[in-house]
Amino acid sequence: MERRDFFKKSLVVAGAAAIGTSLEAASLPKDNAKVSNIAFPQKRPMITYSDRPPLLESTRDVFSQAITPNDQFFVRWHMPEIPTHVDLNTFRLKVNGEVKKELSLSVDQLKHEFEAVEFTAVLQCGGNGRSAFTPIAGGIQWGNGAVGNATWKGVRLRDILERAGIKKEAGWVGFNGMDNASYYETPNFVREMSLTELDDHVIVAYEMNGEELPYLNGFPLRLIVPGYYSDSWVKMLSNLTLTKSYQKLFFMDVAYRIPDNECECEEPGEKNVKTKPIKKMNVKSIIGYPTNNTVVYNNSHVTVRGVAFDQGKGIRAVLVSVDEGKTWEEAILHKDTLGRYSFREFRYSFKPTKFGKQKIMSKAISKSGEEQPLAENIKWNHGGYKYNGVDVVTIEVV
Amino acid sequence: MYKSILLAMLGAVALNAADVREIREDIEIPYISYDIKMGEHFDAVQTNCLTCHSFGYVTNQGPQSKEQWRKKVEKMVVHFKAPITDADSADITEYLFKHYGNGQEK
Ligand code: HEC
Repeated sequence: MERRDFFKKSLVVAGAAAIGTSLEAASLPKDNAKVSNIAFPQKRPMITYSDRPPLLESTRDVFSQAITPNDQFFVRWHMPEIPTHVDLNTFRLKVNGEVKKELSLSVDQLKHEFEAVEFTAVLQCGGNGRSAFTPIAGGIQWGNGAVGNATWKGVRLRDILERAGIKKEAGWVGFNGMDNASYYETPNFVREMSLTELDDHVIVAYEMNGEELPYLNGFPLRLIVPGYYSDSWVKMLSNLTLTKSYQKLFFMDVAYRIPDNECECEEPGEKNVKTKPIKKMNVKSIIGYPTNNTVVYNNSHVTVRGVAFDQGKGIRAVLVSVDEGKTWEEAILHKDTLGRYSFREFRYSFKPTKFGKQKIMSKAISKSGEEQPLAENIKWNHGGYKYNGVDVVTIEVV
Repeated sequence: MYKSILLAMLGAVALNAADVREIREDIEIPYISYDIKMGEHFDAVQTNCLTCHSFGYVTNQGPQSKEQWRKKVEKMVVHFKAPITDADSADITEYLFKHYGNGQEK
């Protein structure tokens, strides 16, 4: 693309609402949602879309640090009826189906009878950034904050299944949590995974950032599937069922799917598009500081801070541009101490030298060479999934 | 006597430590009040659309065309098994389009 051509386009993108640009392209996700004045249990006040089911989003400033605090971690439930009390004396994780011996495990047993493993991994909703799509894609109109990064401690799923004894006919493991629909006929949020996809990084976690999981993030147990979008990370996990073959499930067969083609895109209204599950995350960076409309002094040192991540290949570089994308410079990446599934912090210092609006853009590149596209180059899909446009914030220089 | 009170207290502390829990009672999910536009057929929405989720969840996606609203209601019936009559579905679509529509049929 010609440089000037790009410059023009990026200006169009700047008008966040971007009505009038090509129908199928994305603009920037909205970034002006207000924090509610009502706090949910164990949470600080957050951006709140709904109380039933609870839907809470983190604000941008949370993404200037690698670990997302539990009380600011986003929340997304599908069903309105979530247990508001779990008694650990009676709670059991059941393992059944194609196993040699059914199990019924307390959280205490998981903590003491199995080897504990701990690692840091990003949890992101497949619809994070959905508000960037025009026409409006179905689902919650998330801004940038349906994502977080935590250190999870728990037990390998494989170890649990091996204790039960996997029968050789077993091909799939189904996961069910304790949330329920109001009508018994509404499909439950059940997920399945092929046993061939099972690796040692899939764990059943009982701890998040050194604390018990907050209720709204899935107390007392949550499935952790690093690299995958959060629809796989079943909350309040209470049941593991092994089956011979794949069971038909709404939340796998209809929801959380994207077009099965190279661009993972489609025209609005297009019929009979072949789809596939969203599965693994694409590469992304989010600027945590400054946030939109931050006021800074001309000629002062501004240190941009943010995080970058992908599906676990690891982050090779984050590039930052302060001249509308004309030139890009490498940001400093924080030491890679939290592992390949974690947020990687970056920082970049510059001195604004012009008064008025100043754009800051960030673009992550993974170790496999995957690069964040500009928002305008992201094509539409009906569920508004997998948005990962170059991040942009606009500040004011005075 | 002082000593026995102290011991009792220590005992209590030890018991608590064995059962370290942040939350012992039920959690309470707060209710949010949403701005709801009153108008014809809102009663159908109230009876049919607020059992599985809140009103905020319904209108969160912003203005939709009539066709989009019709499809949303249909999705609730087909996929989520909401027991809604055809007449109510039509009324609900009207209401949603009138108050939360984008003015376009398709
Ligand atoms: C039987 C339960 C039930 C009833 C009744 C119900 N819904 Fe839903 N609705 C759901 C479920 C389940 C979801 C999706 C939850 C998820 O994916 O997180 C949903 C999602 C939605 C969404 C979000 C967008 C989408 O496509 O997922 C809208 C809008 C919506 N419902 C509107 C309505 C309207 C309007 C009515 C009344 C006609 C209604 N609902 C009645 C269960 C119901």
